[in-house]
Amino acid sequence: MSGLSEVATDHFFNPRNVGEADEPSFTGRAASLICGAHVRFSIQVDEAHVISQAKFKAAGCSVLVASSSMLTERVVNVPTAGAAIIGQNCDELTRNFPDLEPGSEHCPKLACEALIAAIREYSDAARDEWVGDEALICTCFFVSERAIEREIAARGLKSVAEVTRACNAGGGCGSCHQLIQEILETQNDLSR
Amino acid sequence: MIYLDNNATTQVAPEALEAMQPYLSKFFGNPSSAHALGREMKQAVEQAREQVATLLGAADTSEIVFTSCGSESDNWAIRGVLATQPSKRHIITTQVEHEAVRNVCRLLESDGYEVTWLGVSETGELDLDDLRAALRPETALVSIMLANNETGVLFPMDEIGRIVRERSEAVFHVDGVQAVGKIPIDLRRTEVDLFALSGHKLHAPQGIGALYMRNNISLPSFIIGGAQEQRRRAGTLAVPNIVGLGAACRLAQQDSGHEMIEKLRNKLEDGILEQIPNARVNGTRDRSKRLPNTSNISFEHVEGQNILEHLDQAGICVSTGSACHSTTHESSATLKAMNVPYTAAQGSIRFSLGRYNTETDIETTLRVLPGIIEKLAAMSPYVK
Repeated sequence: MSGLSEVATDHFFNPRNVGEADEPSFTGRAASLICGAHVRFSIQVDEAHVISQAKFKAAGCSVLVASSSMLTERVVNVPTAGAAIIGQNCDELTRNFPDLEPGSEHCPKLACEALIAAIREYSDAARDEWVGDEALICTCFFVSERAIEREIAARGLKSVAEVTRACNAGGGCGSCHQLIQEILETQNDLSR
Repeated sequence: MIYLDNNATTQVAPEALEAMQPYLSKFFGNPSSAHALGREMKQAVEQAREQVATLLGAADTSEIVFTSCGSESDNWAIRGVLATQPSKRHIITTQVEHEAVRNVCRLLESDGYEVTWLGVSETGELDLDDLRAALRPETALVSIMLANNETGVLFPMDEIGRIVRERSEAVFHVDGVQAVGKIPIDLRRTEVDLFALSGHKLHAPQGIGALYMRNNISLPSFIIGGAQEQRRRAGTLAVPNIVGLGAACRLAQQDSGHEMIEKLRNKLEDGILEQIPNARVNGTRDRSKRLPNTSNISFEHVEGQNILEHLDQAGICVSTGSACHSTTHESSATLKAMNVPYTAAQGSIRFSLGRYNTETDIETTLRVLPGIIEKLAAMSPYVK
């Protein structure tokens, strides 16, 4: 099919993982204001933070359908942190669509956004349920509030990106960026 | 391959091809030449002109001018009429015209013309009171199609003509491209002044069109050059194509095939509505007010483009009103004007049949389609 690699064409005509993940599941959505397309991912995650099921539903073009199908296959049996990184590296997915019409580059991206949104929903829930001694901030890379505070103090970190570089926190789904920002502000106020 | 996209273009009829062949080989002359070969060509052109005139019910063969395509005919008609009466700056047309009319009128609007865009009902029909109300002394042109290319809905050309004639001095142009060869047309009994047709919609080759010009109408040439077509349209005549158009018109006149086509269309439409939930016809359910070959059906919550691609894989050619264009996911202007909800407009498929379709084509389509729709509907995030 024009514009789709052989693999992507197969995913379009025979989409994998259509539907909803079994409960308890976490859902992420993405929609395009440009073309009206809409995609929904739902994932189930086991105790080891590994995605055990990934399902999608999509109203959109062949590129969106194929992207979503391929992405669900890619992330099953992958820890949420790794899956989030796959989602961030959308270019890898886009390579399956060699002659995308200009303006259609957002279609694979939508699938990635929906996946990351689902992982974020999972991370927020996991953070809330966490019962360890130290508050957990980054659920993807398992970094606690104390650990982040130590890094900030020791290295004089000023931004979320610096924190991520120093200790991985915030490097996965990104759901903790706001929290890291707040820690940075509190720390830097104290040290002023 | 099962071809259900005859509103896009049609297969050249064997009769047309056969008629054309000598003019692609031994009869290669220029119909403007004074020698025997030229006269041979001219005679062929005049015979074709007569065949076109007969199919349209023109009063005189001189009312037919050959053009390169339907779009040229429409462009010439609209711009020509305006050029002959520069003081009149008002145009009436509809929101559901083919681009060859719609985009010309849009351009004219940006050039300062006032355009009244008549809307349509949810069944795709005009309210003629809207037309009556819109006509004014300064209305130069009324341009209203005969048959809608997407839904097949017919507008009452005869009645529209009478209204225009009784209530104004406007010129009445009809884009008849989608109707010619599919329904009987008898222009001499109407008030139509200009009427555009395109050969490839009725089994003539691509690249040939015609404009019917009522005998009292004179338009400035759109293409400037030689004295061809009684100085109305310059350019060496495309004799093989013209002969093909003539033969296709003769074929349509003798046997339009549309009784059979209508039967197959009805079988397809009834079968789809019966078998597939959430399928709805776009356009009036009164089939006498639609072209006999067209069925535009929305499959709610399913992407039209994806249906098209699945059908294509199964060897079935259709078209969709919802192409995902590079930057806009624009549903068709016709479906929008009909107020078809977004989720239905996105899933619209146009089935347009032709004289070479068979019962088996329809049966195969009815066997393949429900599974495709079911599979795609399962993917929709809008339904549980």
